[in-house]
Amino acid sequence: MADELLRVDDLKMHFHTRDGVVKAVDGVTYTLGKGEALGVVGESGSGKSVHALTMMGLIPMPPGRIEGGDVLFRGRSLVQMPEAEIRKIRGNEIAMIFQDPMTSLNPVYRIGRQLAEPLMVHKGMSKAEAWKRAEELLTLVGIPHAESRVKDYPHQFSGGMRQRVMIAMALACDPDILIADEPTTALDVTIQAQILELMQALQKRTGSAIIMITHDLGVVADMADRILVMYAGRPVEYGTTDEVFYRPLHPYTWGLMDSIPRHDVTQKEALCPIKGQPPSLIALPSGCTFHPRCPYATDKCRSEVPEKRFVAEGHYATCHYAGDEGFVRGEVECAGVSA
Amino acid sequence: MTEKHEPHVPHEHSDPTISEIKKEGVSELHAHAVAGPPPREEAGPLGGTSRTLWGDAWYRLRRNKLALAALVWILIVAIAAITADLWVPQNFGDPRTIDTQAAATQRLLPPQPGHPFGTDDLGRDIFGRVIYGARVSLTVGVIATAIAVLIGVALGALSGYYGRWTDSVIMRTTDIFLAFPYILFSILILAVVPPDQRGIWPVIAAIGFLGWPTFARLFRSSVLSVKENDYIDAGRALGASDARLLFRHITPNAIAPVVVYATMSIGGAILSEAALSFLGLGVQPPAISWGRMIDDGRAFLTIAPTVVLFPGLAILSTVLAFTLLGDGVRDALDVKMKD
Repeated sequence: MADELLRVDDLKMHFHTRDGVVKAVDGVTYTLGKGEALGVVGESGSGKSVHALTMMGLIPMPPGRIEGGDVLFRGRSLVQMPEAEIRKIRGNEIAMIFQDPMTSLNPVYRIGRQLAEPLMVHKGMSKAEAWKRAEELLTLVGIPHAESRVKDYPHQFSGGMRQRVMIAMALACDPDILIADEPTTALDVTIQAQILELMQALQKRTGSAIIMITHDLGVVADMADRILVMYAGRPVEYGTTDEVFYRPLHPYTWGLMDSIPRHDVTQKEALCPIKGQPPSLIALPSGCTFHPRCPYATDKCRSEVPEKRFVAEGHYATCHYAGDEGFVRGEVECAGVSA
Repeated sequence: MTEKHEPHVPHEHSDPTISEIKKEGVSELHAHAVAGPPPREEAGPLGGTSRTLWGDAWYRLRRNKLALAALVWILIVAIAAITADLWVPQNFGDPRTIDTQAAATQRLLPPQPGHPFGTDDLGRDIFGRVIYGARVSLTVGVIATAIAVLIGVALGALSGYYGRWTDSVIMRTTDIFLAFPYILFSILILAVVPPDQRGIWPVIAAIGFLGWPTFARLFRSSVLSVKENDYIDAGRALGASDARLLFRHITPNAIAPVVVYATMSIGGAILSEAALSFLGLGVQPPAISWGRMIDDGRAFLTIAPTVVLFPGLAILSTVLAFTLLGDGVRDALDVKMKD
């Protein structure tokens, strides 16, 4: 990797609740280079959002507690950084796009003011300069009539338009890293495609690195250089997009692939969901956390926690059998979903 | 962004920043971003002026006849009180001084031309005294409420935003203050003030000092609900400080119930002042206050009920006006009632 921008090293974020310790993020490791796009994929509750919020220092502690590991941004530890320091990084060097654009804008302020605020805080721009820039940013994200739209309130925008505004806000200070936490989940499918296209175009031009958090492998397929698959707070597979798509190693990744809706097969085989439910993060299964749902599970899987197994430079899976001869993705019976 | 250049050519430099893109013109980027048919969602409301929350509220308040009448009444009383020096002494004799001749010949007159509300036991015009009395009542009402709002909002904001032990300490203090018998405690405070120093300011201090707990509770609960909004998290992720989030983003969204209750509280403070002055603990003669006038007129209730009646009506109408206005403001600020 050319210029290392971000290194996440065995990051562990646990929540101490009355019912026990929730291991929301448990040993996530990856690096992100300048201008790279990383897709973080997993089901709800796999820890993908929490890991991002942990990096930004946005998890309230307590109940959260960083149990180990570190996040290095340009060689500086975000975990140990005092609040006043990390505040200068948030929105300025690392920015975030949230899931729900309908509720992520302050209803009492004009769009222009909200876009201008990070510029005034981080870049010390005057109000007039910042508003002018806000107008440019709106144009940049494809909002027509920006010069009059800056004076509008959030309720005058549709969902897709608001997500464009959120993207503009995140890009306002030219961040090095843009974290997009399921940016298209709350939008309908046609708007989703537009937003993804927009993000891709902007990423190419601005050179920001992107961490795209999603539960949809299809979303990251086009966009990401690398993919991190998470399950129950732990990384299960990490590699370049090509490797993960064409040579997936972990049975969970296989399951995710089978769960992508396809239009080129018969209805009966169209969707093969993974059986069972994700485990409770308080009472994780012994050994490999995926074993209760894994069709290939053995006694070893039930008793021993798998280590990362590298099959190629920068491509690993946490499975005892990853890369073994004969351990390949098989035909799955699609129980439960029939025409 | 409507002008089209020649087809998109790759850039020589690989990492243009947003501002560089801007210099080159956004047209190609825009074409890139929203390639294909123009998105349907772009048909948002265009042009026209955007009303602010308060502009909206004022529009709705104006259509509420009762609240408008209350507002007009309050304005009439306030303007009459402010301009009293210009027209009351000239037309009705100076109600602040005792004219020995009038005291002998014109005492306890019933309403008549020249004395629309009659005269008191010292021959002073009651209409003029009611007008001058409004000065004390309105000043006490507004300033005491302002003190209570300032203390209450500051403490409620800290309590609701920071939670934990800050919340516990402030809320328990609030509980203690709420447990004090209000009038008894203000009597106690004012009884400590030496009689020659009694007057309007000790009354304001006592009422303001005892009035804040309700505001603290009200604002705390409002802050608690507003701070859970996504735009607060988004603001924090963009690098906003606690103070900025609390005062610039939470407060404007949380202040509406305080505004409503403050309006009604002015009436309550006027009542308290009247009660304290009636008990002889408020403003001292020769200063004029409605409560004081009722106290003075008590002795003549059977022979000249008008001496008590008119200051009583003044208190009643003004307090009622503030309550009705508060009701109107509540309806006006309630976005759910938007039509």
